[in-house]
Amino acid sequence: MARTDFIEPLRRRLVELGCPIVQVRRLVQEVADHREDLKLAALSEGLSGADAESRANAQLGDPLALAEHLMAALRRSSWWGRHFLIGFCVLPLLAVPVLWALLLFLGLSLEFALGYGWDWKKLHVAADNPVAFHHLAMAVHGADYVAIALATLLFCWLARRSVVSVRWMLTSCVICSLYALFFWATIKPHHFALGITWTPQWIRAAIPLLIAGVIYIFRRRTTHGFQEKVTV
Amino acid sequence: MKKTNPSFLNGIPELLVLRLLSRREMYGYQIVEEIRTQTGETLSFGEGCIYPYLHYLEAEKQVSSRRREVEGRNRNYYKLTARGRKRLEELTSEWKRVTTGVSLLMGVQHG
Repeated sequence: MARTDFIEPLRRRLVELGCPIVQVRRLVQEVADHREDLKLAALSEGLSGADAESRANAQLGDPLALAEHLMAALRRSSWWGRHFLIGFCVLPLLAVPVLWALLLFLGLSLEFALGYGWDWKKLHVAADNPVAFHHLAMAVHGADYVAIALATLLFCWLARRSVVSVRWMLTSCVICSLYALFFWATIKPHHFALGITWTPQWIRAAIPLLIAGVIYIFRRRTTHGFQEKVTV
Repeated sequence: MKKTNPSFLNGIPELLVLRLLSRREMYGYQIVEEIRTQTGETLSFGEGCIYPYLHYLEAEKQVSSRRREVEGRNRNYYKLTARGRKRLEELTSEWKRVTTGVSLLMGVQHG
């Protein structure tokens, strides 16, 4: 088996399994170096070039199995890769409200620091002022939309970083979408409520799906581009 | 409550790799070979499977790597960092604790 017959299937399989391109390049380079060392060791023992190649390949095993093993080891090396069920199914449900609260707090803090100072009583005054209340409502709903988008991006990034399959990335996006579909915050003068609504919030729910779609297409294009570039 | 050792038992490869890298800078093939020869071929990493492990240690900042040319060959060399050295000390003391315990038990059984 020639070098390309071993390294090429390994590289292709790593890409197919969703390994980030940077990692693919590095792993392939290191395995190719390793294979070269095994071959040199065999040559130093007096084996012919072809026999040394064969022994190096035999020691490394099936390239497809090696790719699977490398990916499994990469996944195991991160918390997200070991606990994908909690990481990509449960945590998105917590991350969206936490991010929303954080953004809202930051937004309102900024708004009040700039416009009203740190006086709690002035919040009531702001609630009675239509312009100020409009700003408040914008901050609440803006933080909500931004939190949904940020949480989706965060879990897509974590899925990519921990090299879990694209299925888990899409799962976390669907969870974010479901959250956005039914959880809702309303704000009226002197009244603020959080909860579940049975009227689906389609626009909010579309945000994570849209992000997932864009990332998925981008990933596919990058992967295809890389496969073609290397093949050529 | 006395702590248990499952994480330590999983950490044996980590201990071996960090121990080898504490002596000198090495590349993947060298590490696999050294583990094989220095443990009298009792322990061995699958060829090629050392790399995700080294990348994990690098992500944890326990080792650092650099591309280096030696005798006309370009390879990724790994070396221990300060954090890796600290981790090695922890794992070594834990290893001594476990082996002392096991030796005591084996001594009782053989006695």
